[in-house]
Amino acid sequence: MRVLAWRAGLLALLLLGWEVGARQLNPLLYVPPSAVLPALGRILGLEAWPEFPEHLALTVREILLAYLLAVSTGLGLGFLLGLRARLGAVYEPILAALYAVPSVVWYPSLMLFFGLGPSSKVAFGFLLGFFPVVLAVLAGIRQVDRHLLTVAASMGARPRELFVKVVLPAMSATLISGLRAGLALTVVGVIVGEVLGAKAGLGYLINYAYGLLRTPEYVALVVITLALVMAIDGLAAAVEARSRRWSA
Amino acid sequence: MSTHIEVRDLAKSYPSASGPTHALTGIDLEVQRNEILTLLGPSGCGKSTLLSIMGGMLRPDRGTVLIGGVPSDGPDPRKIAMVFQDPGLFPWRTALENVEFGLELQGSPPGRRRGIALGLLEPLGLKGFEAKYPRELSGGMKQRVAIARALALDSEILLMDEPFGALDEQTRLLMGEWLLGVVRQTRKTIVFVTHSLQEAILLSQRIVVMTSRPGRIKAVYEVPLPYPRDPTAPEATALRAALWGQIREESLRAMESGL
Repeated sequence: MRVLAWRAGLLALLLLGWEVGARQLNPLLYVPPSAVLPALGRILGLEAWPEFPEHLALTVREILLAYLLAVSTGLGLGFLLGLRARLGAVYEPILAALYAVPSVVWYPSLMLFFGLGPSSKVAFGFLLGFFPVVLAVLAGIRQVDRHLLTVAASMGARPRELFVKVVLPAMSATLISGLRAGLALTVVGVIVGEVLGAKAGLGYLINYAYGLLRTPEYVALVVITLALVMAIDGLAAAVEARSRRWSA
Repeated sequence: MSTHIEVRDLAKSYPSASGPTHALTGIDLEVQRNEILTLLGPSGCGKSTLLSIMGGMLRPDRGTVLIGGVPSDGPDPRKIAMVFQDPGLFPWRTALENVEFGLELQGSPPGRRRGIALGLLEPLGLKGFEAKYPRELSGGMKQRVAIARALALDSEILLMDEPFGALDEQTRLLMGEWLLGVVRQTRKTIVFVTHSLQEAILLSQRIVVMTSRPGRIKAVYEVPLPYPRDPTAPEATALRAALWGQIREESLRAMESGL
């Protein structure tokens, strides 16, 4: 409770400082909260853009699809490389090297391949979300205590049971952190993709509002994006907390 | 008395950078039904390797292991349960769920395996700890849960690889007493690996002393004392002196060969 009160106090102070500062400077550039709130109302009341729900829904759909692809490919490739030692030795350094490249450099090619529509956003979200997942699977498999496998085998566990009853639970904490990081990066990928060039979506609206210097709407959209990201991450954090009951 | 485990002309080596390391050669051993036998020897003498081969966890290069007259072919939890120095509890499972693991693998229904597990934990002084995770248990408790997990398999043979090696001396002695109590109730054949003379003398009916690498059987001693044993009895003292003579020689040899 105390922490919450302090947070609320700090937030109020920041907003107050922002309000005062923005009024002194240029309110068009340093949009004060008193201007953001009505803009937020105009957007959510569908006055600013009547088709706002479609934009939001499109972004959410892109995120979901990109994440689904990132998780399925990441898990599939991760387990393939992680459980086949030789394949892993060959391909893991390549993955790590690709991960080190700033992903945004791929975006122009994705636009060329997939066009200006939703596909290129899904592809970019997938690209960003895929690496944390596959690398978490590889790290997780490496962390599994070999002794636990010996113990389980001595009790008659066969390979499939070793995987389901030992490997998966032993790596679950690492795996779930990776899935969470992947989700956060998928969201970033989709929205950045939309900002860089799109015909619809939350990122497109942000870019549009900013381009027309409708700065209160622009800031309000950023606030909406923030709320979306926090909601998604909050969900992921709850799942993660549940899975960690047994560790300290 | 009938032979329960029979080891015939066993040999095992491991590959290493400087050619194969011979862990065991020419091991012949018979373990009687309901006997407690200890394998005693300096570290690196291959006693754990021998135990793993008996348990079907490792394949020998040469020789055979017969369990009740049948050649061993891989782990068989219905005949043999194993306990290791590292308890190896599954950290994501509670004490109770750990004990249920082997029964779960055998497809035993939840109600039945829960009943068996609870029945094992209580006499081990773990009542009230069933729902605790391993990180919440002390070292001695963890090892007791691991032993309960092995006992849950209800196999006739228990192979124990320095099960109390990581515990302090007092806990180790108490655990030994407790193990004897369990064994008397359940009638098991036990092969126990240790490097503690005291533990070997207090627990076993026969003590097999092994040589340092390559491991061979150097001597076999009968322990002529009734349970519960008095470690200060003259026979115990004499036996300890004899064992120490054997072990000392082997340990020195092991140190000189740089093990």
